[in-house]
Amino acid sequence: MANSNLPRRIIKETQRLLSEPAPGISASPSEDNMRYFNVMILGPTQSPYEGGVFKLELFLPEEYPMAAPKVRFLTKIYHPNIDKLGRICLDILKDKWSPALQIRTVLLSIQALLSAPNPDDPLSENIAKHWKSNEAEAVETAKEWTRLYASGA
Amino acid sequence: MDSEDDMHDANDVDSYEEDYYSGDAMYSDDDDDAGYEFLHNDSDDSDDVLISRQQKNFTILKEDDIRQRQEDDITRICSVLSVSRDSACMLLRRYNWNVSNVHEAWFANEDKVRKAVGLLDKTTYKPTKARELPCGICFESYLLDKISTAACGHPFCNTCWTAYISTSINDGPGCLTLRCPIPSCGAAVGVDMVNMLTSDEDKTKYQRYLLRSYIEDNRKTKWCPAPGCDCAIEFDLGSGSYDVTCHCSYSFCWNCTEEAHRPVDCETVSKWIMKNSAESENMNWILANSKPCPKCKRPIEKNQGCMHMTCNPPCKYEFCWLCLGQWSDHGERTGGFYACNRYESAKQEGAYDESERRREMAKNSLERYTHYYERWATNQSSRQKALADLHQMQTVHLAKLSEKQCQPETQLKFIIEAWLQIVECRRVLKWTYAYGYYLPEQELAKRQFFEYLQGEAEAGLERLHQCAEKELNTYLNEDGSQDEFNNFRTKLAGLTSVTRNYFENLVRALENGLADVDAHGASSKTSSSKNAAGTSKAKGTKGKGSIRGRTDDSTGWSCDQCTYMNSKNATSCQMCHNSR
Repeated sequence: MANSNLPRRIIKETQRLLSEPAPGISASPSEDNMRYFNVMILGPTQSPYEGGVFKLELFLPEEYPMAAPKVRFLTKIYHPNIDKLGRICLDILKDKWSPALQIRTVLLSIQALLSAPNPDDPLSENIAKHWKSNEAEAVETAKEWTRLYASGA
Repeated sequence: MDSEDDMHDANDVDSYEEDYYSGDAMYSDDDDDAGYEFLHNDSDDSDDVLISRQQKNFTILKEDDIRQRQEDDITRICSVLSVSRDSACMLLRRYNWNVSNVHEAWFANEDKVRKAVGLLDKTTYKPTKARELPCGICFESYLLDKISTAACGHPFCNTCWTAYISTSINDGPGCLTLRCPIPSCGAAVGVDMVNMLTSDEDKTKYQRYLLRSYIEDNRKTKWCPAPGCDCAIEFDLGSGSYDVTCHCSYSFCWNCTEEAHRPVDCETVSKWIMKNSAESENMNWILANSKPCPKCKRPIEKNQGCMHMTCNPPCKYEFCWLCLGQWSDHGERTGGFYACNRYESAKQEGAYDESERRREMAKNSLERYTHYYERWATNQSSRQKALADLHQMQTVHLAKLSEKQCQPETQLKFIIEAWLQIVECRRVLKWTYAYGYYLPEQELAKRQFFEYLQGEAEAGLERLHQCAEKELNTYLNEDGSQDEFNNFRTKLAGLTSVTRNYFENLVRALENGLADVDAHGASSKTSSSKNAAGTSKAKGTKGKGSIRGRTDDSTGWSCDQCTYMNSKNATSCQMCHNSR
């Protein structure tokens, strides 16, 4: 079984995620694969995603922690740094990854990204354009999508 | 064997060549012409025919030289800044290995530089009393001897350090700016830690990146682009010609790193290369196949250097590889006996008519491009062949010939010089076709002047190439008499220097943008002794308007031997000194 020689680090991280979860974030490993996590992030208050519950998947590759975890939104979200497949444009998931970072820090960064979209470094060109040309309208769309797809039902 | 009885005989040159090779300065009595100066110079540094044409404005660095320089630079920074070698190395890398920039920045604002590079002033790490520390990566606790830290003191176990550094090294040259794993820390991880914590394989890779950085980040150095060559070239910025020649004998342009293309500029070369790749499929279609003999239609593959082809017996048809015309038709009309460079005249004479099919298929523009591309590519392959021949000559034939002719190899250097000249001239000639392609059609005077110079140079080169390739064979295969061989020596050496002069003229003319055409009418321009040959030549041609008028006595006379166009009051040829 793949989980038998799971590095101590992953076990410790998992235990801590379960025992002291970060506010607004939950992450629990899948039963048959301890490297695969089901994640839920609550939309931050004062953001267009407030009130939404966003599901993500997180996978720790074989090289973890030398390589970054792979994270993706499963819930549809209207955000300039997240594309329609749920892929996230975030530096610490790419070249700025460091083995001193953890699952917890990654998820907190994603939560922060929901509070502060960065249309200057877009993954989704159209949404970013919308954000820059008419932010109020884009925020409305994001709220609408949150209501439609992330209402926690 | 088709040794040419119809070619221009160069036998008359012996009258002066004997003097030349006896080592005395010749013409010192009566000649104050330009050609003399050149020949004279040449006898001084004949070992280095190719190099002597350009003053050396570059240095070739072998791997050991590069390491030595790198070490020296690091030592200088260490002693002036009183920092460790490790830190000096990081500082230099940050400032592109420019020692004075490091000095300047450091003494202007040391703190700022330290911060940018990640050199902490003092270790902020407070020694702990604990016997064990937790590793920040694997979360295990270790005894202190299993823990390492950068200057910042963030503890990680040696296993995690090894994995961390190794991952970075295998990601590429970014490992040279590696920092502490704590994202907000920024303390540099330098060569000392790499050496302490990684495998030999990773150390070697890291050293490789460090060496590459020294060449690639430095504005004054570049790698030799030849495959398999490990040398780098340091170039004196601001000096003249960009052409450099590496130890491996590859010549390239330091500016654009394409192969050497003097006298054509980098922009033209890059346009031409782009064009070739864009149209290469057409060209492959046209050129991949061999050409049929124009008479018997048997396919012929060209495997020797010069353009004079002779079909196999029984056909034995002699023709020109470029235009497929009968060889005996080559003469004045095609711009000189061995020249076949005039696209316009070829078109007018209908030389392309015979390939009706091709004409139908190829649009006018393609045909024009084909004309230039074909000549560019043919000279390219001819140069490759000449390089191989030169190599063969140096490694095999020279010794054989030395034995046959009972002459020491040093006496046979003229053959090597001839081949070096051929190789160089094929390169120049090749690029003049790219130049010709981009020379605007409406600049008629320039075009004519250019084609004239190119034609002269090409004709000279074909004579030289033919002589070096075919006539020399006679002496390799049979025992020619001593006298005959001496005649051959005289002829080949003469052709070498004449051809060299033609190409120098061509190069000079193209490098000043054919400015002689509009620069002056018939004004007599005082010229320095160095380029008198070039300018006087320009004078000879210009003003006449038509190249074909060159036998016209009112403006000058064409030398029977080398076809150089002399001014009308010269009594002997300015180029080869044949008397009128």
